[in-house]
Amino acid sequence: MSFAATAPAKAQPSMLVRLVARQELALLVCLILVLAFFSFTVENFFSVRNLTNVLGQASLPLIAGIGCAIVFISGEVDISIGSLVATIALPLIIIMNDTNSLWLGIGGALLFGLIIGVVNGYLTAYAGINSLIVTLGTMFIMRGGVYLYTGQRAIPDDASLDSFIALSDGRLFNTIPYSAVIAIVLLGAFAYMMQHRPFGRQIYAVGGNQEVARLAGYDVRRVKFICFIISSLLATVAGIILAARVGSAQHTAGLNFEFQVVAATVLGGVSLAGGIGSLTGMALGVLILQFLSNGLRGLGLPTEWQLVITGMIIIAAVAFDEAKRRRANGG
Amino acid sequence: MSELTHASAPKRFVGGQLLGSSQLVLGVILAVLCIAISIAAPQFYSEANIIAILRQCALVLIVASGMTMLIITAEVDLSVGASLAFVGCIGMAVLNSTHSLTLGLLAALAFAGGVGLFNGLVVTRLRVNSLIATIGTMMMLQGGVYLFTREAVQNHNQLASFTDLGAGYVGAVPVPVILAALIFVVAYVTLRFTTLGRYLYAVGANEKAVRLSGLRSERLKLFAFVLTGLCVGVAGMILSSLMNAGQPTAGRGFELTVIAAVILGGTSLLGGRGSLFGTLLGVLVLKVIDNGIIILGWNQDLQMVVPGVVIILATYLDIIRNKANVR
Repeated sequence: MSFAATAPAKAQPSMLVRLVARQELALLVCLILVLAFFSFTVENFFSVRNLTNVLGQASLPLIAGIGCAIVFISGEVDISIGSLVATIALPLIIIMNDTNSLWLGIGGALLFGLIIGVVNGYLTAYAGINSLIVTLGTMFIMRGGVYLYTGQRAIPDDASLDSFIALSDGRLFNTIPYSAVIAIVLLGAFAYMMQHRPFGRQIYAVGGNQEVARLAGYDVRRVKFICFIISSLLATVAGIILAARVGSAQHTAGLNFEFQVVAATVLGGVSLAGGIGSLTGMALGVLILQFLSNGLRGLGLPTEWQLVITGMIIIAAVAFDEAKRRRANGG
Repeated sequence: MSELTHASAPKRFVGGQLLGSSQLVLGVILAVLCIAISIAAPQFYSEANIIAILRQCALVLIVASGMTMLIITAEVDLSVGASLAFVGCIGMAVLNSTHSLTLGLLAALAFAGGVGLFNGLVVTRLRVNSLIATIGTMMMLQGGVYLFTREAVQNHNQLASFTDLGAGYVGAVPVPVILAALIFVVAYVTLRFTTLGRYLYAVGANEKAVRLSGLRSERLKLFAFVLTGLCVGVAGMILSSLMNAGQPTAGRGFELTVIAAVILGGTSLLGGRGSLFGTLLGVLVLKVIDNGIIILGWNQDLQMVVPGVVIILATYLDIIRNKANVR
């Protein structure tokens, strides 16, 4: 199985793998440059407190970004994650308020996320509808559903369980936020799956060339279906952490979150065309954007400038990457 | 993205016949909606309500006309919502300082066209995927508009001609509806009956073939981006006239409504397939739903849920019908 799984990708990848490796190196250099620049210009930027804070903030796009990158690599898109983040806070907070149990609340949220993943995955993989349309639709439906249910008022967390609050401000060894620990563990697990497990290779194969993957005997539909479920479940985890952070279910939670995640993922070198990119790249993309916005805030620039600069950097990075790829391909 | 839907290549080339029937489905949906709503609420067919629906359609239809051409060339523009807000603010500011409608309109068109040109250049010269490029532009415009103005730019010019742009009537027909109709007809004729229109379809269907046959595919895409920008310029001025102010917060989610209408109208995101007539039906369906929710006294938050269901459902019906046709 594992042999069969790696075989089709072997045809072109030696060059491709090297390209990706170089890409990650370039991103790492970028990250170090950003860190170095702000360490000199912003006081207290390079302090353990600030760095771990940023890591905590980065955990949400990191966790959701894993799912986003996996769906991209399989050759599809999922833009429903922002609305999902707001939606799963409802079962989470309501169940916790009723039962005073964190685990039941998380179970409810994950179950809801699973259902959305199944719906997105079924409509895309089995019904054959373009994934941008499907997730645009579920994005509208979920956001509208949250507005309807809450009447545009926040539902506060009345249970205020210690374990739930710890999700937002608890720190491992009093330094690393739990949310960052969760993000790192998930990232490690999924990066291992993508690089070293047959299923990961299948995702690359399906995204790289669907027809070849099908002829190689992979169940293309099943692979895509599972990718959407992974994406929804990971967005659910991000949503749980966000709900813990704001202490309520907010109807506006996660607005534009999908764009933030998509931007970081693409900055990290994951191609929208499918089959190209890595989770390490995505993680570096998230970190660059997070440290950048933290540093710019430290310089006293208003949030609006952060948006402008982030937008420019995304375009520049993708343009640079494209130019490099064209040169590598000889024109 | 989902190649599964378009797995068999020949379909795209006999697209003409299929498109006709795709609009048939939409027409039936529209008719059923109108009948159902008018049974439940007879005031649906009042003159005032029909004019209200048309007025709401106007803004979306103007931008959707450009967006249809753009999506037919296999590109997309997500920055139109942010651009709409920015254009309104800039147009209003120029009007306030010059008291000239012409200059205000020119400024708005120049800015919006410039945004389109920028998007087009980034996509065609730097080869950045248009989804990403326009997310980047969207961020820059959202940030930029707040750097330009923190609060709404109020109308200090009191130009009657400017107020007419949004609120005026010619006979019984609102001015925005006339503008929308004009832009729609020009776009329709261009796309349907001119060589340029055929080239736009060709670029979307097979860019390589177009380039090999000696056409500048980049120019064609650039043209579609600038055109979409100019449409946003017109819509932005109408919107600021309607609100009597340039609102930096206007246009949130507008890009999604426009794209939803275009897709609903049967235009394929893969390019090369679609029609403006479908887009018109798509806009009408979405706005009749909006209107129905209001006059039936339902919760207005349903205005987000129902279109979501309709987009997925309409696309799914289209796929099922295509499969039946192939068999």
